[in-house]
Amino acid sequence: MAKKYAMVHDNNLCIGCQACNVACRSENKIPESVYRLQVWVKQEEYPNGSLGYEYHRQSCVHCENTPCVSVCPTKASHVNEDGIVLVDNDLCVGCLYCVAACPYQARYVHPVTKAPDKCTFCHESRLSRGEEPACVTVCPTEALVFGDLNDPKSKINKVLSERVTYRQKERLGTQPKMYIVPNHKGGINS
Amino acid sequence: MNQIWGSMEQYNTVVWHWPIAVYLFLAGLSAGAIISAIVVKWMKGNDVSPWDGIIKAGAILAPVTIGAGLCLLIFDLTRPLMFWKLLIHYNFGSVMTIGVLALFAYMPVSILFLFGVFKKELAVDGPFKFLAPIADLALNYGKALEAITLVLAVGVGAYTGFLLSAMNSYPLLNTPVLPALFLASGVSAGISANLVVGLLFFTHSTKDANVSYLHGLDVKVIFAELFFIFILFVGMMYQGGATAHAGAAALGTGGLSTLLWVGVIGLGLLLPIGLNFALPHGVKHSHAFVIFNALIVLVGVLALRYYMLYAGQTFVG
Repeated sequence: MAKKYAMVHDNNLCIGCQACNVACRSENKIPESVYRLQVWVKQEEYPNGSLGYEYHRQSCVHCENTPCVSVCPTKASHVNEDGIVLVDNDLCVGCLYCVAACPYQARYVHPVTKAPDKCTFCHESRLSRGEEPACVTVCPTEALVFGDLNDPKSKINKVLSERVTYRQKERLGTQPKMYIVPNHKGGINS
Repeated sequence: MNQIWGSMEQYNTVVWHWPIAVYLFLAGLSAGAIISAIVVKWMKGNDVSPWDGIIKAGAILAPVTIGAGLCLLIFDLTRPLMFWKLLIHYNFGSVMTIGVLALFAYMPVSILFLFGVFKKELAVDGPFKFLAPIADLALNYGKALEAITLVLAVGVGAYTGFLLSAMNSYPLLNTPVLPALFLASGVSAGISANLVVGLLFFTHSTKDANVSYLHGLDVKVIFAELFFIFILFVGMMYQGGATAHAGAAALGTGGLSTLLWVGVIGLGLLLPIGLNFALPHGVKHSHAFVIFNALIVLVGVLALRYYMLYAGQTFVG
């Protein structure tokens, strides 16, 4: 049975340390000044006056209904059999329609290939060796959980069954496979 | 949200730059030029040579502007040497593929139209004598080819709007009225360009009756454009939330909103309408005024494409 890879980012466990960002750069040899993954922070003031931080994982959310794949004129942008959104550089002409159409700003132009590049869940390296993505392995607080949604016994399905989660911009109908455990304080801005 | 470490440069929402705006303008102009040339040909019963200057202008403008636009488009790709892959790999769910296929058909029929109209200059006296059969083909099957050309031109004029409206990442672009607005403003640009080229370069063959006819048509199209722009923003307000915010920002923020109010609406739409009603009949029908009017309309349409592209990508709610 085909796999359906997904990820959980737990906003309560994340400390914004950027270890995931650095591990991603190292594993995937990302050139200077571009990023497949960043963690952003926002300071929150709650109604009672107390302060806190909201973290946001900025990367591809691997939509099931993919705007980037729909608009690509050559099918260079595609979803593989495991549900991972990828770019086939051999087919890409560099029109950047996918970069513009992505509501999550997950894509950038690779400075060397000039083709759009993005998070691949380490598909080409670690995943093919049976290892988890670099960001998940390196996370010191285990804020990231990765796994196969088609396997009822997977760790990610356990988390999704026990925790409240939401996905960004669900109103667009993109059905991301990046689930967020919201901060247990304050409101949710999806 | 702020980054903690690393450059934010790649998160600029403006992905497509001015060459795309110029392409959108040229594609609309090309479609509008051939549409208005065919309309004059049909409505005024100009079925055989000598052709009216307007028809000649449209026959030249359509292939030249779309050709220039496509060159611009190819050089704007980040991998321009790979552009041929667009021609052999299709995704029928992508507006860009539909556009490529429409242009694939539109280019040859617009060139056929050119050879039909300029048979004498190109294929009889000119350097393309070997293409005389092509010119004859264009003339013998004129009506049928023009009907096909008209449909394809409407396709080319509208697809540029669908190209942008297909992206739900940009609320100002993701509206159903955009293809209609682009088609209307493209027709307006085509009419204006035909009038300028017809009156300047084919002065003797351009009939005054046809000039007034097209000029009158342009005023009606401009009213339609104004209404479409109104619908666009009212529609965004009614959607509320981030879309309403983006709409309000696009109407009132920075240089882009100035461009909308002054360039697009003021110069390109209201001034031509105002002059058309305010000026006495004699002035209104002078060639100098028609050319001046057509030029401000062209500037307005280019401003509209530039505004929509940049404001659309800038104000994301």
